[in-house]
Amino acid sequence: MTPRWTATGLSQDLPKGVVMAGHWMGHDLAVWRSATGRLQAWNDRCPHRGMRLSHGFVRGETLACIYHGWVYGAEGGCKHIPAHPALTPPATITVTSFACAEQDGVIWVAPADMAGSPPAVSGVQPLRSVSLTCDLAAVLAAEPALHGQDILRGTVQMDGQGHDVCLLVQHNPAGLTLHALSGLGANKVAASRWVENLRRRAEMKVAA
Amino acid sequence: MIAQQVLNEWYPVAMAAQIRAGQRRVTQLLGQPITVDLQKGAIVVTGQGGALHVTEAYGHVWACPGAPAHDLFPIPEASEPGRRLVDVGVVRVKCSPLRAVENFLDIAHFPFVHTDVLGAEPHTEVNRYEVQIREDSDEVWATKVTFYQPQAAKSSEGGIVTQYMYRVAAPTAAVLYKTCPNRTDAWDVIGIFVQPLSEELCDVWPWMALYDDVSPQAELIAFQQMIFLQDRSILENQIPRLLPLDPGMEIPTQADLTSIAYRRWLKKRGLTYGAQMVAA
Repeated sequence: MTPRWTATGLSQDLPKGVVMAGHWMGHDLAVWRSATGRLQAWNDRCPHRGMRLSHGFVRGETLACIYHGWVYGAEGGCKHIPAHPALTPPATITVTSFACAEQDGVIWVAPADMAGSPPAVSGVQPLRSVSLTCDLAAVLAAEPALHGQDILRGTVQMDGQGHDVCLLVQHNPAGLTLHALSGLGANKVAASRWVENLRRRAEMKVAA
Repeated sequence: MIAQQVLNEWYPVAMAAQIRAGQRRVTQLLGQPITVDLQKGAIVVTGQGGALHVTEAYGHVWACPGAPAHDLFPIPEASEPGRRLVDVGVVRVKCSPLRAVENFLDIAHFPFVHTDVLGAEPHTEVNRYEVQIREDSDEVWATKVTFYQPQAAKSSEGGIVTQYMYRVAAPTAAVLYKTCPNRTDAWDVIGIFVQPLSEELCDVWPWMALYDDVSPQAELIAFQQMIFLQDRSILENQIPRLLPLDPGMEIPTQADLTSIAYRRWLKKRGLTYGAQMVAA
């Protein structure tokens, strides 16, 4: 498959000092923001005992594994092993890094050697992320006004009025996550309700 | 196809008191359905091919689906007068039974997983300890293990440097000996008996033989349950779910000597149920 940028979250959901789980094309990621705001996306696995780093904790400019506290710094290099405080960890202990970019209030990930910027999504503002247990076909069947493949756009009805929406599609092991953005004129509460309703309708398409 | 040496081992399948109280247990062992119940006063374990070998020890029912290669391992402390024997109950964990045992042998996680109970920063250093595979008993032993603990046991008043010994007595059973807060001349004994439901799912039965006349039973059980539930949040989030036996998939340090010996011991004996042999 061609490497491409995938939306993995909204900026508003990842404050400084926080780590969250992300995905890129079947890879589980730990996406985190340091105390000074630097964003990074790594393979979601501590090389020591395989623990998910997305369960870890951010301290300053480092991400630590929750299992044994191994500390990883810039570019995924291991900086400190608490069981052996005097030891300088070998440079070979490194977590694989992915490219991570933030644009239009969306966090995008791609392979480390990805060139260029993520696609721009204009005229909309970040709303919320929602996880679905169905596939993309069910979403498109539930809302024929939407079109696209990785980026779904369309004008949909909210409270009797037409508003633009943009749904960034992220495939993950359990199904889909849609990162929703809504037109600048749309009421955020109404738009959020529309997203929730879309999820229910799409998942019902599968059940039916 | 499950290796014969795996089938010839003993595995915990129930708490004896529950079966004796008339509670039939329908469960699984090594991926096969089994039933544990009481027939004419005797505990019987039945699988698809008929009755399994059964023995009762340390509060639990043990079954062997093959031909037992040896008797169930001894825990002499279980019959010492004055000890309180505590059946903690069961914790179901979505992980390899071998990962559950390995986590029990690990001390370096105490400050991060059992924070302010079994460990606390900045006391994170794991001092060198000794590990051997004892040829006579065919068990893995770790001795001279020490670690600073804020609250080592239910009966602890404050932080102490706790001494530990660890022992792998069966592929899915381990026993630890640790400083007893109430007595300087004896060890508290804690066992972890793991029932392999499948290669990626297990029932964990902690068991204790303590010198503690004070703590109410419910509190002793609640303390151990809290510890094992904290461990579960780790065990269900390790990748891969199977325990990797080939070097290269994971990176151990000196603090992991017990885990290294346990993996070698499993591999040498062909006890690979719940293990991953080749890096994925």
